[in-house]
Amino acid sequence: MLPFFLLRYREFGVLISVLAIAGAFSALSPRFATLDTASSVLTITAEVGVVTIGVAFLMIAGEFDLSVGSVFAVSGTLLAYLVAMGVPEYAAAALVLSAAAAIGLANGLITIRTGIPSFIVTLGMALFLRGLLYAATGGFPVSYKGEVLPVVFAERVGDFRVSGIWFLAVAILFYFLLHRSVFGNWVYATGGNRHAAKAMGVEIERVKLVAFMLSALMAGLGGIMYVSRFKIVEPVVGLDLPLEAIAAAVIGGCSLMGGIGSIIGAALGAALVGMTRVGLVLVGAPAYWYITFIGIILIIAAIINTRLSRYA
Amino acid sequence: MPEPLLYAKDIHKSFGPVAALRGVTMAVGRGEVVGLLGDNGAGKSTLAKILVGLYRPDRGELYFEGRRVNFRSPRDARMHGIEIVYQDLALVEDLPIYRNLFLGREPRRALGMLDIEAMKREAEKLLREIGINVRRPDDIVRRLSGGERQAIAIARAVKFGAKLVILDEPTAALSVKETEFVLDYIGRLRDRGISVIFITHNIFHVYAVADRFVILEHGSKIADLEKRCVERPETIVDIIAQRLRPDQVGC
Ligand SMILES: Nc1ncnc2c1ncn2[C@@H]1O[C@H](COP(=O)(O)OP(=O)(O)OP(=O)(O)O)[C@@H](O)[C@H]1O
Ligand SMILES: [Mg+2]
Repeated sequence: MLPFFLLRYREFGVLISVLAIAGAFSALSPRFATLDTASSVLTITAEVGVVTIGVAFLMIAGEFDLSVGSVFAVSGTLLAYLVAMGVPEYAAAALVLSAAAAIGLANGLITIRTGIPSFIVTLGMALFLRGLLYAATGGFPVSYKGEVLPVVFAERVGDFRVSGIWFLAVAILFYFLLHRSVFGNWVYATGGNRHAAKAMGVEIERVKLVAFMLSALMAGLGGIMYVSRFKIVEPVVGLDLPLEAIAAAVIGGCSLMGGIGSIIGAALGAALVGMTRVGLVLVGAPAYWYITFIGIILIIAAIINTRLSRYA
Repeated sequence: MPEPLLYAKDIHKSFGPVAALRGVTMAVGRGEVVGLLGDNGAGKSTLAKILVGLYRPDRGELYFEGRRVNFRSPRDARMHGIEIVYQDLALVEDLPIYRNLFLGREPRRALGMLDIEAMKREAEKLLREIGINVRRPDDIVRRLSGGERQAIAIARAVKFGAKLVILDEPTAALSVKETEFVLDYIGRLRDRGISVIFITHNIFHVYAVADRFVILEHGSKIADLEKRCVERPETIVDIIAQRLRPDQVGC
């Protein structure tokens, strides 16, 4: 059972949505409420979820990251290339995560130094990286030859995959970072009222840089989890991911204006995305309905959150 | 007169062609509430910003606790014990009271974790001191009244060791009842030996709590009056409106 005492008003909205959607799919398909389905949902939730948590953290600090989809794809592809070149898998993963963090640092430095909105900077970064990826791969999928990471990130344990544990670990880590640490207090203050934060001595630029890096780092981790599961990456993977992650974060109670949101909410938002993807397949809806459905949920969730915030 | 807490001597400050301060000298005693008055553009806010290290004077000297000081930044001034509470208060509206109170100076435990229990305990104590015990440390600042917010912003400054608190129009946006509450709180600060510079346009507000009035006009000090020499607030209104010369106010 979910630990209700951890929930604030804002998370009740998404919790109710999750339960409602689960109920609806269970009514529509007898195969929804099974362990098998739960496993598929958790697998997808885990990959979307680590990215969503990074994006939510950055949103709370007051900035956007539209480059997470490209970072996700570049990370998976780079990992496959490095391993094919004979780099040991753990070293390759460490390199990929460092590269992802470096991209986040670049996003942050450009945003802070120039004052251009991060929405634009990271959109530019997304296009730039995606183009590089197409050029490097010639548009063809790259397959992953390693054996170790697929076990570490995607091995089946009973009915479930270990990626679920990684997601849980990331969620717990970020929970403590955002809600319990001094740095987390600065993140909320920076996103909520940067003038106030600055007046009280918070180094808001440093806070934002770290948040940009964490967002990219989590996108990199998502990419590694993805390639570990499929052992192949197409260069178009993750095209919808930035908007999916932002949608999941908003569904989970994050404000587009910054300063509001939570890790539990973001994780539940990602779960809702995972459930919708799997559920629509089970009820036999054509695949493209998925994004339409997410759009509807997003708008409804945003309305609920605005209403709830009046009582928070 | 005992050595003042703050002594500002012959402070000049210009912004391009605009001479905002033309040699202002003033002192603030320990536990004294000084009302800093004057018309729009008289130089009150500029003087305040110099005292907290936000601007550097073109000329003039600052002494704090008897020693010459030279503030390079607000952080410098804060380390000496001078804080300003701005009208926009520097509170994060979506954060609870206890997180606002410690913003930037959070008590830590191992691994950079917040000491949340300590924060809430202290916040509760502070709320009792201020006299808004109906509020819980967990309450979101957005839900507080203007007066409560003002009091919390002042209390935060005092809590972190301010010996001199500068309030720039703290009552400008408050209702009558909220104003009374803030004025009462300022009075209690004085009783604890904390000095206050109270900038306002409302002479009636400041008259209730101030011990002394400093009046600026076009960047110069035109009057510096003990409260006991001023029988009625209207006298000050008359001086600012130049219906009365300061030397006509006997004492
Ligand atoms: N940063 C600045 N740049 C240029 N001129 C300034 C600046 N700050 C203040 N001034 C000018 O200096 C003069 C004094 O301004 P100041 O804000 O100190 O007045 P004040 O007494 O606080 O007025 P008010 O009661 O309207 O707040 C004004 O003429 C103002 O226009
Ligand atoms: Mg002013």
